[in-house]
Amino acid sequence: MADLPEVGVSPGPPTRKRIAVDPITLRVLGGAFDAIAQEMAGVLFRMSYSSIIRESEDLGAGIFDADGRELCESESTPMHIGSLPWYIRGFLRRIDKSQIKEGDVIIHNHPYLGASHTPDIAVAVPILWEGELLGFTAVTAHVLDVGGSYPGINADAFDMYAEAKIYNGLKWYDEGVLNEDLDRMVFDNVRTETMNRGDMNAMMAACILGRDRFYRLLEKHGSDTVMSSAYDWMDYSERRLRAEIAKLPDGEYVAPTAWLDDDGRNRDVRLRVETKIIVKGDHVTIDLTGSNAEVPTGYNVPFEGSLLVAAYFAIRTLLLDQDRLEEQVPQNDGIFRCVDVIAPKGSIFNPNFPRACFSRFCQCQRVVDNTFVALSGVVPDLVTAGNSAALHFCSYAGFIPEKGEYWLYLEVNEGSYGGRKGRDAMDAVDCLMANTRNNPIEELDMRFPLRCERYELRDDPAAPGQWRGGIGIVRINRFLESGAYSCEGDRHSDPPRGIFGGYDGLPAKVSRLGADGSETEIPAKVTGYVLQPGEAIQLIEPNGGGYGNPLDRVPEMVREDVLDDFTTIALAREAYGVVIDATTLDIDQAATASLRERLRAERGDDFQGELLTLVSTPHPMAVSPHR
Amino acid sequence: MFTEFEGSNQVRRIGVDVGGTFTDLIYVDDEAGRVIVHKTPSTPADPSIGTVSGITELCEMAGIKPADLDQVFHGTTVATNIVIEHDGARVGMITTQGYRDILHIARHKKPMNFSLWQNLPWQAFPIVRRRFRLTVNERIDKNGDILIPLDDAEVRSQVLRLKEAQVEAVAVCLLFSFLNPVHEQRVKKIVQEEFPEAFLSVSSDVLPQYREYERFSTVGLNAFVGPRVARYVRRFDEALRGMGVKTGIHLMTSAAGVATPAAAAERPVNLLMSGPIAGVVGGIWAGRTAGEPNVITLDVGGTSADIGLAQDGKLRMKHLLDTKVGPYQAMIPMVDVDTIGAGGGSIAYVDAGGIFRVGPRSAGADPGPAAYGRGGTEATATDALIALGWLRPELFLGGRIELREDLARAAIDEHVGKPLGLSTEEAAMGIFKVLVHSMVDAIEQASVRKGFDPREFVLVAEGGGGPLFCSEIAPEVGVKHVLVPNYPGITAALGLLTTDMVYEFVATSYAMASGLSADAAARTTLQAQYAKLEAEAAEQLATDNVAPENVVLQRIAEARYDGQGYELRVDVGPGAIDAAWIAELKARFHDIHEREYSRRFEEADVQVANIRVRAIGAMPGLKPTEVAAGSADPVPNARKLDADAWFTAPGGRLVKVMTGFYERTELLAGNVIEGPAIITQFDSTTVVPPGFTATVDRYGNLLVTYSDEIAAAAQSHSAAAAAAAGAH
Repeated sequence: MADLPEVGVSPGPPTRKRIAVDPITLRVLGGAFDAIAQEMAGVLFRMSYSSIIRESEDLGAGIFDADGRELCESESTPMHIGSLPWYIRGFLRRIDKSQIKEGDVIIHNHPYLGASHTPDIAVAVPILWEGELLGFTAVTAHVLDVGGSYPGINADAFDMYAEAKIYNGLKWYDEGVLNEDLDRMVFDNVRTETMNRGDMNAMMAACILGRDRFYRLLEKHGSDTVMSSAYDWMDYSERRLRAEIAKLPDGEYVAPTAWLDDDGRNRDVRLRVETKIIVKGDHVTIDLTGSNAEVPTGYNVPFEGSLLVAAYFAIRTLLLDQDRLEEQVPQNDGIFRCVDVIAPKGSIFNPNFPRACFSRFCQCQRVVDNTFVALSGVVPDLVTAGNSAALHFCSYAGFIPEKGEYWLYLEVNEGSYGGRKGRDAMDAVDCLMANTRNNPIEELDMRFPLRCERYELRDDPAAPGQWRGGIGIVRINRFLESGAYSCEGDRHSDPPRGIFGGYDGLPAKVSRLGADGSETEIPAKVTGYVLQPGEAIQLIEPNGGGYGNPLDRVPEMVREDVLDDFTTIALAREAYGVVIDATTLDIDQAATASLRERLRAERGDDFQGELLTLVSTPHPMAVSPHR
Repeated sequence: MFTEFEGSNQVRRIGVDVGGTFTDLIYVDDEAGRVIVHKTPSTPADPSIGTVSGITELCEMAGIKPADLDQVFHGTTVATNIVIEHDGARVGMITTQGYRDILHIARHKKPMNFSLWQNLPWQAFPIVRRRFRLTVNERIDKNGDILIPLDDAEVRSQVLRLKEAQVEAVAVCLLFSFLNPVHEQRVKKIVQEEFPEAFLSVSSDVLPQYREYERFSTVGLNAFVGPRVARYVRRFDEALRGMGVKTGIHLMTSAAGVATPAAAAERPVNLLMSGPIAGVVGGIWAGRTAGEPNVITLDVGGTSADIGLAQDGKLRMKHLLDTKVGPYQAMIPMVDVDTIGAGGGSIAYVDAGGIFRVGPRSAGADPGPAAYGRGGTEATATDALIALGWLRPELFLGGRIELREDLARAAIDEHVGKPLGLSTEEAAMGIFKVLVHSMVDAIEQASVRKGFDPREFVLVAEGGGGPLFCSEIAPEVGVKHVLVPNYPGITAALGLLTTDMVYEFVATSYAMASGLSADAAARTTLQAQYAKLEAEAAEQLATDNVAPENVVLQRIAEARYDGQGYELRVDVGPGAIDAAWIAELKARFHDIHEREYSRRFEEADVQVANIRVRAIGAMPGLKPTEVAAGSADPVPNARKLDADAWFTAPGGRLVKVMTGFYERTELLAGNVIEGPAIITQFDSTTVVPPGFTATVDRYGNLLVTYSDEIAAAAQSHSAAAAAAAGAH
């Protein structure tokens, strides 16, 4: 690949002829676009084979114009929403628009040509109407294996060629005819042929269904009305977001340095993330200058398909929070126009070809989290305290000689959120740009030679705050046969931040549990880590940060937390200044008042509580799970 | 479903549907051919009060004593409201050690993608609080074998802790209990010994099916609503028996079956979606009286619209992973009804970005539409219908509520007309059209997009609002015509009288079609599993005093392609499990898969994840009554007044037309009314626009048909309107 284009170049405003659309038709078509995207996603996850798609819904589905401008995308996982425009622009560099025909089915996953990362394969079909290429319906979904060095996850890979097979704008079907050699090439070179085939069939079915639905809209309303409506809706979303950005005071807002654990090979070398938010008028720029240089492993971030998506997500989520809005504002091209990102070429957020960039989720999450921390002084009512803002994305795999294929289980382990003004945090949930579903334990045990032995809230208490932080999970998966474990986690060293006097949260931890009960801590990122039968992986996920001074929390709420084991009697006293009788579990109001007064005086205004030193295991303040 | 019994002695029956605002009642005397309908205000604090007084009044109207009643059927939202208002029992849970927080974690997915402010309902409003979720050390493995044996002493001590904590109900939820219930049953026994007063909800009894979160949630909900629903059902039953009703009460379930008070009190979770389903059942019945077995039902109320579809008079069930009550998963058989936030109270406005919106927010009953003059100032759908001249103050709800047209118009002007630069009538028509579109879209989701051809269906207009919207919707969707039943507002209550006793029993199987073909032992196992469920089903119906000759047992397989994770529901044949049976299973599964997802994979193996037996105890059917015949022209007295109303002319132009207003009760069989016309009745208003024709059939149903021109225009109409709009 000699002539790779400059990254992040948008096609500019649409040039297609536009006509005025009456408000009622506009409303009608907006609803129809959304319904089509949802239906595409529904078909994909219901029909697919691998649990990462059908249970976790690690997918995106939508409709795009001929330059990749997004009309709509399904409400699945946010990491996918907004990446497809870049996939489309990427494969259009390989296939000229004039060569795109009815019945073509295009596959693409090139991370330096728009892909989010190589295992998120895109399937796209063109929308051709009266001889004109109006756009595409397209889906991305995470397939189990893409033929990299190790089964499933390849956090540590030498380069892009080692992490996956690369599909750069290939016609899987050419005018409706299967390209048999390509088909063999694709499926002969993955470890999970049956699953990949089933999943990619489902992806194609979803695209075709979406295209046919869109044809019906075109038949009924005509292409000028439909496309003009699409552009009107983009303008609408842009207007809504710009109006909110304009309310922020102009300025530069800097987050404290965040640290990633390591690159997956060079242990104990932490990686720096620097985030500056520049607000000017009705536009936001996220400047990551000063962040770490690119790394020699797969822990780099594709700029277009991943980093830009994170930036869109962060600004939109903060300023157009769906739960605070009465109406739906579609996540479309209009949102994307309001946000720019600066990441110097050669940094971890804009790597040089052919660096591997398989594992990029945690870095993106930290950019989002840093954005909130940076803006917390400007919009204190809208932000959360520090979130887990990472994830342990794990693969468990082994070879099945009878089938000649691998079993492979991909698992997205959830995190937790920070507290927010007026509400306690969300516990044990996919954080920020992750929004998958967990795999049922009963399903997992029956399908794979694994046994889940524990899945509940971790034993440690929530980060104290006027509004407490969220609690992560503990999970134990035991191998019943030997197999390989790979993971691209993070956040083992730098806990989520408390804000406005709330305590910092707790970092994550992963261990190997021996059959004899021994526990050995292992790094967040490992690749092809072999486990013997009877050995297990234990994952403990971060607790989010607290919001506001815990001395301001209503004592009765602290007592409720004690009853539910969200905190302990000892921590109630030490952090919240609430005195609870260990026998009756009643609050001693007088003692609480005087303790709070004393703590307030002692702590002063700049107090920053830290939970980690209070709960280092074994510690009397750790919450017992069953009591 | 509609078996009718000659010489049945169950002739005098009442159906009672309790809604949020009104309780609808219908009395039917099959022998005398009498039908009387009645509406009373609901009494939300204790719904049985309003219901009992309604029954007393209805008996007086019918000139009978309650003791003369043969059956009382009841559809209730009691269970649903407990969940939505989150005021159920204090529930304790005994679960497997290591899994205390399955209900807290749920599927670890947020309801919204772009929100930091959202709450996770299962955490913010838990069904079982964490302090009441206690664990015991035990484990059944994936083969159903005991990996860690249960310790009685530990169980006993945990049960006593729950008793001390004064929980009212205990949910028992252990992993893999659907494969081997031995541990759960042991825990159940110990709860019965130590804490007999607790309401018990055991997962292997309530829902022996895999996927722990969905199972625990369902079983937890069962415990959460259990004590109150059981009390309500019992009190209601006793009140009726006290009045002399010998058979007590029968209740509608979410699966459109009828349950006895005893069965309902044991598994109250089955009552959770009782309400909207009766409307679909009533629609099927109405369709049948008009000779139409294929119906799409649209029930429009104040805040929402319910959409159902039935082919060949058969209800469709929802996918078990889509069955939710409020934000909580309830994996129980539920008739497929979709609800959207579009109704008479839906509020219209122009949002901050200039987009025109209608709903889902609703003005509800209080303050209600602006025209009610009770302080509502926002423009609602009802206000729009008044501005269009379709709802007339003097004819609305028999004049019981005064309508202020001036307030309706002012609200529309302020919130929609002025911001969009439209006249009052244009804005009103816009509000109507946006709602019509939402309904059309929801109907298409339920029909065309699931492979049903709307041209084979009629649209049954139900609820106070259905007949206002259906004429406009019919050509857009492409249904044959609209059917407005005699009492559209009371179709749900009527539906109660047309259902059978239905129960479903379920077990997990995992048999592969290939395995069944190859292995006689596998066939024997599956056969035995079905037989066991059939025996349980027959026993349940015997308990309900259903005579054996009235019992029908249907087998269902929930199947998927090997490797898939979602099952589809396939009706399978009775009889021996042999090559023919297996071939039929596969053929039917391929067809259903193709209809749902537009693809089939003949070469792939088919797996039966769960098996079910649906047990139907046939109840006496409901005979339609004929109305007196007349000529094509209605009697002069039927036409109450003539007034201006606004309609859309071909090309999208708004026109004012002199329109006749008719009284429904004055219409006779054979009457034909050409649109524009409006037909009013106590509980509803039917709009017949220009180009549409309403005909009264022998049973009093109104059939609203439309001309070919309208049918053709429906396809191009919107494009033309848009082009016209673009031109100026």
